[in-house]
Amino acid sequence: MAGPAFKRPVTDSVAKINHELAVGEDLVFQRKWWRFERAIWVLFILIIALDCMGAFGRGPLANARIESTDHAVEADYERIERTGTPSMMTVKVRETAPDPIELFVSDSAVSGLGLRRVIPAPETTTVGSGGFTYRFPRGSLPAVVRFEFEPVGAGVYHITVGRPGEALMHMTVAVVP
Amino acid sequence: MSTIIHAILGYFALLLTVRVLSRRPGGQLTLYEFVIVFLIGGVAIQATVGRDHSVTNCFTAILAIALMHRLVAWLKDRSPRFGAIVDGTPLVLVKDGNWQLEVMRGMQLDPEDVMAAARSKQIGSVFSIKYAVLERNGTISIIKRNES
Repeated sequence: MAGPAFKRPVTDSVAKINHELAVGEDLVFQRKWWRFERAIWVLFILIIALDCMGAFGRGPLANARIESTDHAVEADYERIERTGTPSMMTVKVRETAPDPIELFVSDSAVSGLGLRRVIPAPETTTVGSGGFTYRFPRGSLPAVVRFEFEPVGAGVYHITVGRPGEALMHMTVAVVP
Repeated sequence: MSTIIHAILGYFALLLTVRVLSRRPGGQLTLYEFVIVFLIGGVAIQATVGRDHSVTNCFTAILAIALMHRLVAWLKDRSPRFGAIVDGTPLVLVKDGNWQLEVMRGMQLDPEDVMAAARSKQIGSVFSIKYAVLERNGTISIIKRNES
């Protein structure tokens, strides 16, 4: 019967305690590891604190508001979003021509932020100029239109929202994994 | 593809988190430590598979984790230093009848933990322990003092 292909003589290589008990303890390494552990726990606490503040979305730091230069339209949105997590952008139209209300949203809102729904449903949607123009029948002002997003991938996206032909609002949204 | 990346990232994130937790796996787990195991596992799986609950997706995630495990095992075999980083090294808790307080505090262990291991070896008194060693797998080995 053939023996094993490779062999090596047994050597006493494991570090001993009191020259009698082979343990392999390495206190120098362990002290370094404890220092590393402390640093990691500080990092963990920092991550939790940043998350509570909204640095990774879903918190006060993530919430943002922008207003068009003519003060006619204002939008509340999240400047930091999370992949696969729904979010809402609320656009408030204060002044507009009598009828109807029109809102332009750039294509990046769909391709980057994963625009899922517009509430209320627009009367018509026109495609062109690098985005979509939604038309809503006008009621009393201010009118509120909500856009529901669900980003499909991490990245930084620039979206444009506003009344077509008027002052547009440019937003930068970071999507974290 | 994203599942594989999530599985790889999840594997190393879990490895780091479990490694920096106190070394008390397996038979040394107390009830409150079970909470950690269940919660971390449950949370990690959601981020790994996402909304794709297909057999294909779950299978690729399992394969990715298995490959990572194999890679870490291979690296451990090749590099003792890497092995020490992943598994730690054995640590002496009691030497010649003296508690090694630096190690006990560093590993967040109490004399009760050592005595629990001693009792399993039919040792009822701390004075009968010559060495107690916290092994890499979290168990505590007890070497009895020679009474003669």
